[in-house]
Amino acid sequence: MSISTKNFWFRFIAALPILILFIISLNGSSIINIKFFSVNIHYILVYYWILRQPQSLGLGLIFLSGIISDVVLGFPLGVNALSLLMVAGVASYVRVVTVRITLVNDWISFIPALLFANFIYFISLYYSSYSIDYVYLLKNSVFTFIFYPVLWGGFSVISNLMRS
Amino acid sequence: MDTSREDVGIAIRSAFLRKGTQQRYSLFGLALLSVLLIFLETIETKPLNGIRSVIKDLVYRAAIVASYPTKVISTSYGVVERHFNLYSDYNNLIKENNELKNKISTSDFLELENTQLRKLINEQVASSSNLVSARVMLDKQSPYLNSFVINVGANKDIKNGMAVLDGKNFIGRIVDVNYFSSRILLITDLNSKIPVISEPSGSHAILSGHGTNPPTLQYLPKNHKIKEGDKIYTSGKEGIFAPGIIIGKTEFAKEEIEVSLFSDLNQITFVNVNLGEKSKD
Repeated sequence: MSISTKNFWFRFIAALPILILFIISLNGSSIINIKFFSVNIHYILVYYWILRQPQSLGLGLIFLSGIISDVVLGFPLGVNALSLLMVAGVASYVRVVTVRITLVNDWISFIPALLFANFIYFISLYYSSYSIDYVYLLKNSVFTFIFYPVLWGGFSVISNLMRS
Repeated sequence: MDTSREDVGIAIRSAFLRKGTQQRYSLFGLALLSVLLIFLETIETKPLNGIRSVIKDLVYRAAIVASYPTKVISTSYGVVERHFNLYSDYNNLIKENNELKNKISTSDFLELENTQLRKLINEQVASSSNLVSARVMLDKQSPYLNSFVINVGANKDIKNGMAVLDGKNFIGRIVDVNYFSSRILLITDLNSKIPVISEPSGSHAILSGHGTNPPTLQYLPKNHKIKEGDKIYTSGKEGIFAPGIIIGKTEFAKEEIEVSLFSDLNQITFVNVNLGEKSKD
């Protein structure tokens, strides 16, 4: 492989988390619905990269992606941005207090991140006079938690590629 | 005990207030900015509305480009699925065609009778509605909000609250107007409440959306005489929509009366926005 191709490949892999972040928000597909499954991949993406490699995903970009999601999905500006920043906040806190990061640690500490983010989501929409399906919100949180290891595996592959 | 509290404090400060490696903004600062934006959404002033409108128009255009590959994939999937269902669809259409042929003669007679009766009471039959056609730009239906974005806005005199039709069927109302685009809140959304009337039973009710489930009739009178298959129309009671726009027909569920919509909301490409009555000058 020539140097320029290698360089391009390296840059592409390094930009992959940002690319996925913006594709998700511009596509309005932060929540994937398959039959009764409902998974918020936006939360998992932000949580994983802030916890593992915060230098790959800027907080400003997360904020911008949240604003785009709000516009595409028709929510008041700032709701998704605040929820995503809350997920990033919990991930930053876990990174500071944890010495050894494993999948189980990540997975368990994802619970408070989900709870805080959904609480913010609920409060912001409640005060903006939007009706929310609470059962759906709960179902989405449960499936997002269950689905975390699957995306964790996928993101770990990208992370390893970056290091190599 | 004090030391562990201090540790937590330091960790929180480090996570939320400090800028991390290669991070330009602090988390706390961005969170404050988000709260400010949410607060600003509640304020309606001309300059703020203008800025919001520009941001939304720009994001919608970018979203169309970004969602093009997924749109192509889902369209191709739809084409393949339709090919597989060709034979069963053909049989269904033959059956439907025969039923419709039988109904035409009854319908012709009823139409004639209706015109004669209207003449008797001197009613103006001519329609005075003023429609603007639009293309659906984005149909990203979030589980929390069922809505479409269309390619007309304030540039075509679209205003909040206007009725949106698919052909002649009511499908929702305008809830957000930008200069080149507007958002339609679909009738299935949790936030949608439409005053309706049933025919021929004539009972007034509110049609409430439930997200993924079909909308239901609420606040019906106790002694209502609604039957399965009754047609549901807008009642025009709130004074925003014209009365008599068809929505769907009733279907009895366990404890509720559901309304099966005449339009398939997943298959809509073009819509008509009802601008209201034409001025007579």
